[in-house]
Amino acid sequence: MLSDLKKAMWVSLMIIIVSGLLALFSASFQNSRVTQEVFYNQLVFSILGVVAIFFLGRVDHRRYYDLAYIAYGINVFLLVAIFLFGYYALGAKRWIEIFGFNFQPSEFMKLSLILALARYYTDHKPKVSFYNPWSRPAIVSDFFIPFAMTAAPAILIFKQPDLGTAILLVGIFFVMAFAAGVSTKHLGGFLGVCLLAMPILWHMMKPYQKDRLLVFLNPNVDPLGAGYTIIQSKIAIGSGQIFGKGWLSGTQNQLNFLPERHTDFIFSVIGEEWGFVGSVIVVVCFYLLILSGLRAVEQTKEKFSHLAGAGIVAIFALQVIINIGMVLGLCPIVGITLPFVSYGRSSFLVCILMFGFLLSLARQRKMF
Amino acid sequence: MRLKSFKVIITFSFIILIVGLGYTQIFQGEYYQQLSVSNCIRVVPVHSNRGRILDRNGIALADTLAAFDVLVIPQELQDRDELFSFLGSVLGFGQGRIDAIYQRKRTASFAPVVIAEDVPREKAIILEENKFRFPGLLVQVRSRRHYPFGEAGAHVLGYVAKMSQERIERLKEYGYTIDGVMGYSGIEEQYDQMLRGVNGGLQIEVNNRGQQVRVLGMKVAHPGEDVMTTLDARIQQIAQTLMREQRGVIIVMNLDDGAILGMVSAPSFDPNDFASEAASNNRVRYFTDTRAPLFNRAIRGQYPPGSVFKIPVAIAGLYTKKINPHTTFVCHGSYTLGNRAFRCSHTHGAQDFTQGLGHSCNVYFFNTGLIIGPKLMEEYARLFGLGVFIKIDLPYEERGHVPHPDGFRARRWSKGDTLNFSIGQGDLLVTPIQIVNMIATVARDGRQIQPYIAQSIGAHAQPQGQVARVIHLPKNILDQVKEGLRAAVAGEGGTARAVFMKDLLVLGKTGTAQSSGNQEHHAWFVGYCPSAKTRIAFCVFLEYGGSSYNACRVSAQLLKEMKALEIL
Repeated sequence: MLSDLKKAMWVSLMIIIVSGLLALFSASFQNSRVTQEVFYNQLVFSILGVVAIFFLGRVDHRRYYDLAYIAYGINVFLLVAIFLFGYYALGAKRWIEIFGFNFQPSEFMKLSLILALARYYTDHKPKVSFYNPWSRPAIVSDFFIPFAMTAAPAILIFKQPDLGTAILLVGIFFVMAFAAGVSTKHLGGFLGVCLLAMPILWHMMKPYQKDRLLVFLNPNVDPLGAGYTIIQSKIAIGSGQIFGKGWLSGTQNQLNFLPERHTDFIFSVIGEEWGFVGSVIVVVCFYLLILSGLRAVEQTKEKFSHLAGAGIVAIFALQVIINIGMVLGLCPIVGITLPFVSYGRSSFLVCILMFGFLLSLARQRKMF
Repeated sequence: MRLKSFKVIITFSFIILIVGLGYTQIFQGEYYQQLSVSNCIRVVPVHSNRGRILDRNGIALADTLAAFDVLVIPQELQDRDELFSFLGSVLGFGQGRIDAIYQRKRTASFAPVVIAEDVPREKAIILEENKFRFPGLLVQVRSRRHYPFGEAGAHVLGYVAKMSQERIERLKEYGYTIDGVMGYSGIEEQYDQMLRGVNGGLQIEVNNRGQQVRVLGMKVAHPGEDVMTTLDARIQQIAQTLMREQRGVIIVMNLDDGAILGMVSAPSFDPNDFASEAASNNRVRYFTDTRAPLFNRAIRGQYPPGSVFKIPVAIAGLYTKKINPHTTFVCHGSYTLGNRAFRCSHTHGAQDFTQGLGHSCNVYFFNTGLIIGPKLMEEYARLFGLGVFIKIDLPYEERGHVPHPDGFRARRWSKGDTLNFSIGQGDLLVTPIQIVNMIATVARDGRQIQPYIAQSIGAHAQPQGQVARVIHLPKNILDQVKEGLRAAVAGEGGTARAVFMKDLLVLGKTGTAQSSGNQEHHAWFVGYCPSAKTRIAFCVFLEYGGSSYNACRVSAQLLKEMKALEIL
């Protein structure tokens, strides 16, 4: 028998994957710009993924502890390799080809960083409140070392340039440090420093990244470039109204008004064709998935798995919130995918690995 | 426990998402539905005005004018015959011809067909006034690049044309779009980013009749910046006229700050031909002409320098003390090496250093070359900027070639190679701009100046008068060499007597370089005017121009006309 927790996770996951596949089929339906191949790729991947999740859920999650630093090291190495051998797509250098298989190390970096930070904070327990938190050793070991572990890949990814993923990595750091119990004074102070450093970051950004942030603040700044996407995406979602235009009938989608609609903007297809009702069902499924993940994490006593699980749940939640938020024009367009829905093999595979880990936490519970 | 706060934050965020969805889909749903159903968003690009290119006195060398194009939109056409006969009467074509153009160019019913380009303003106004009578007629304003001086200095300016696929791929990230134009070669390419400005546009909502209802968003176009060059339009025209029947190069550079006052490469092309559809035949001719009119010989042409190269050889000899000003060699009209005779232009007899340089005696420099050896000549060639990029602010500069006696690829370096090398023949290749740079370095006592063409972009002044490198040479050596350069122009039997002017001090060196095959020789004269009102270094190079005498005559004419305009 499946436990209730696992059942809830599986059901919401299946609804999300199926709605994603339907949206992808529609986005590529009788279309020259996005070929149907995209759909079939994702279909095959989804089936393989579900099988993989089934087995990953049975792996002992403590095994990840041993792998954490190795995975992190290989991943950083691959990010460096991208500078030397990577190739460009959509204006950014993100892909690398290994054994004829293209993949994006930056996607995997999210998981690798979570595992590495979880292990770090397991090995070096943050020194909470027993003595002055501003003492030097506490700052260095609670803070600077793990932050350096985050900053190295984040800078490499930022340079690709992929602002969204770089921001996610920094987000992971804060989430992990918070979950590990690092003093909130530290975190708050550091967050302040990061905000103060924003102007410097602004200076380093590519023109199109600046544009996107500006467009977020005012979509009318650039109605032809990034603003066009937001306006078109809002038109797509809004015109879905309550019940949607029906599957394969979204005019915004079918008439090619939506750029990037099979990847970052896939949710606008769902919004247009399935309306408020369909969108809310998908959003609620994500919410259930995340909450049940959080439940599984809460019940895990083991430090490493607990931390890693918290990181994974947080990154899931962040991606869902940012992606749907940006499609609705609530956050800047930063190029973050919607887990299990957006087309993209690397992103899908990472989601599978992460979900498998959460599932193994849920399974663990039965041993008690 | 801290996970609790996660739950709170996540729940709160999801509530916001659902509220956002509700607001967009239910509250604003009707409005967006309207927008999507009527498919009524149009993007209207607003092109930025390209900056001008100015000469040093503010005269426009490249300008942007408005051009009016006449278009017809097939799907909106109602009475075709009436429209075409009206168009024919205004434009002065027969109705049949307009019909033929329309038939030939028509692709899709919604794609406008260009009937006539660059229609005179008065006619455009007549058409515009009658537009309401003829649905489907469209008069479009387009900005067109105009080069008032046509062929003069076309290579320095470059031209503007539609982007090629390869460039679009490369430049997408920098905000270039497919429909845009960009600068090709010359200043137009070098400073394209500054000249082009930023395109703007309007995103408008239109009703079902195509009329604008409201503006959803707008982005203001920023005009490009003007680039002020160091060129003098008068010098450009003088040089262009002198080179009309020739192939070759004239470069005039300010000795004091490295500003290029004139640069002309011949044969030339008219950059206006790239701005109009009608001149496509001329464009084809430019690309297929074997004399390569698009090729900027001043910075890309690589030629043997001939006797001009004797200047660095002389300096190398004096500096290493292998020869001195009194070293004398006897010229019997040729130099025999093994069974081969290396010829001189005349039988000069005994020649000291100044005579050797002034008469450009090959035998004198064969001897000097053998004494100092090829490696030293290579070193001095590079020291004076030959075989090295000058880094002038124009694209696609060539580097030339200085042979490398140690690692000579073709065969073992022989004494014959040394003899050829010492008079600037053999494998040595230089660009005219390098030669001007070389003579300027001599004139400036070893302080190599950085040549440049753009003196300001918008309100920003560009670096000027920068000393690129200092070659430490004793003054007496340079004075000796200058004495030889003076003798070439003013001395008895000097090779450049044709350049001599009573009221203007000119120093310089001629060169007659063998070209490959049985073609005529290349002719060089490179010189400088150290005491003129504007101190200049200049070079006249005639490709297959025969004797250097021809280059001297052109030089004299150039200086005379510049003097008449009180530039010198």
